[in-house]
Amino acid sequence: MGTATGIIRALNSGIKHLAIKRFTLRYPEEKLKFVGDGYQFDPSTGVGIAGLKGRHLLFHDHCTGCQLCSIACEGVAEAIAMVKVPEEHKQNKKAIMPQIDYGKCVFCGLCVDACPFYALYMTNDYELSSFSKEGLIYTPAQLQVKPYVAQDSEIIITSRGATHG
Amino acid sequence: MATELPSDVNSSEVLVDQTSSKWLPPGLALQKVDERIMTLNVGPQHPGSGHMRLIVQIDGDYIVACDPDPGYVHRGEEKMAEYRNYITNIPHLERPVIHDSCNVLYPYVLGVEELLGIEVPERAKYVRVIASELNRCIYIMYWLAIYGIFLGHSTMFMWPAGDRELLIDLMEKMTGARVTHAHFVPGGVRNDLPPNFEEVCLRQVAYFEKRIKEYAAIFYDNPILIARTRDTGVLSRQDAIRLGTTGSVLRASGVDYDLRQKEPYDVYEELDIHSNVMKEGDSYARSKIPWLDMMESCNIIRQALQKMPKSGSVRVKLKPNPKGKGLDTVYKRVESGRGSLGCYIVSDGKPEPYRVKLSVPSFRNLIALPYLLKGEKLGNMPSVYWSLNYWPVEADR
Ligand code: SF4
Ligand code: SF4
Repeated sequence: MGTATGIIRALNSGIKHLAIKRFTLRYPEEKLKFVGDGYQFDPSTGVGIAGLKGRHLLFHDHCTGCQLCSIACEGVAEAIAMVKVPEEHKQNKKAIMPQIDYGKCVFCGLCVDACPFYALYMTNDYELSSFSKEGLIYTPAQLQVKPYVAQDSEIIITSRGATHG
Repeated sequence: MATELPSDVNSSEVLVDQTSSKWLPPGLALQKVDERIMTLNVGPQHPGSGHMRLIVQIDGDYIVACDPDPGYVHRGEEKMAEYRNYITNIPHLERPVIHDSCNVLYPYVLGVEELLGIEVPERAKYVRVIASELNRCIYIMYWLAIYGIFLGHSTMFMWPAGDRELLIDLMEKMTGARVTHAHFVPGGVRNDLPPNFEEVCLRQVAYFEKRIKEYAAIFYDNPILIARTRDTGVLSRQDAIRLGTTGSVLRASGVDYDLRQKEPYDVYEELDIHSNVMKEGDSYARSKIPWLDMMESCNIIRQALQKMPKSGSVRVKLKPNPKGKGLDTVYKRVESGRGSLGCYIVSDGKPEPYRVKLSVPSFRNLIALPYLLKGEKLGNMPSVYWSLNYWPVEADR
């Protein structure tokens, strides 16, 4: 192939892109769709359930304050601290629950794998930025709130190319 | 190094400061000034991806000598691994190459499985193969994007960076994270595939393959690229073997050695794998092999999806804090996006490994750089450097 033909072919291949659809996701106007409600773990089978590893969700009525999540995180990021909670729970005599510092967390989900009482899961919430370092520390009360996550676009492949829609 | 001078520093080229008689590291020692030769520091502020420095000596436009100076992003991964147990080692051991995190973790996981005597379910093995092939493509696309921008081809930066998204989306569905998946564990994988994954995977991989084929016209068959990279930095077959290069660099020099074929691990022996080999050994061949590898990866993914058992467990349950059985060592290696990546683990019967040593392809490929750059033009340096499939963070660990 001659040099001129090669260059024309290269240019032509670029020009074709004027006609195909835009692939870029226009975040934050559009947000990606995820599978499931976030990463979960079933201690009875020892296998996780696929989902995004985002912010954690803590079930106060399951957590026993056993600290296994905090021990698991010690080797990873030391993001979990066990703090006192005001409310009384029958299963939680010591009244301590995990508090997670998202300035340190790497979203590996090993704490979820460690929890034997179905108390700690992960959610699809990934927009955690904050103006202060303290804002990144989520107390047990904040971790209890189920987040609302907008999910509206996914990759669609047509004969004219792929787009987010 | 405090009192004794290394032999090369004693040579006539370097003047030792007699007043302090202190040994200085390479690059800092006083050099005899040669009027024709100029020393140029490329880096250490991110010349490509990751911090590293190339100390290049040039005579006009020609490179006389090149001294790669890695080590700016040393993180002490191997030492860190001695203080964590076999499971909590996972998140930090995949950090050396976050785009190829499954492949970086693979030898470690295989090694720990052998140490602890764990049998992995069949389905988990296939899931691992799919994950590591997807990761290989994600890594190569990132590498290709940087290669494009190194050569001033900004289209080749934008396209791979965009098309990577197709596969990152698959990995996100599969593992829950876009990079650094922490998906492989001793005993299988963390979670099963989500419902409907196969269909989505086949669709997106097919489109991905169609897209990368389009790169031929704009990049690989582009006469400008060919003129810039053909016959630059030629590594002969003998030198490639002698210097101990691996992966795409070795295969671009005509040595057919792909670990997935030669030393199959997990279920690679049940899959039909074709390894890509080119004879030229120049920058062009080294940049084309990874691209061909991506198409092969697409084939492997399709085969694996077809042969995978449709149901079954993907992870065996381990005791908390699993321990090795007394003093034991294991060495496992896999074919990563850059070449053969090995992991040597010593266990002394405690929940933490006694020693973890990563033997990384990036470092071995970097060894070839001073030989390749001698006599090249300075303008060819970026293409030769990046075609070595070198990842600074991985080389420093
Ligand atoms: S996800 Fe990982 S880093 Fe984050 S709190 Fe859990 S164990 Fe720690
Ligand atoms: S979240 Fe789970 S692992 Fe952590 S303290 Fe509560 S019950 Fe224990």
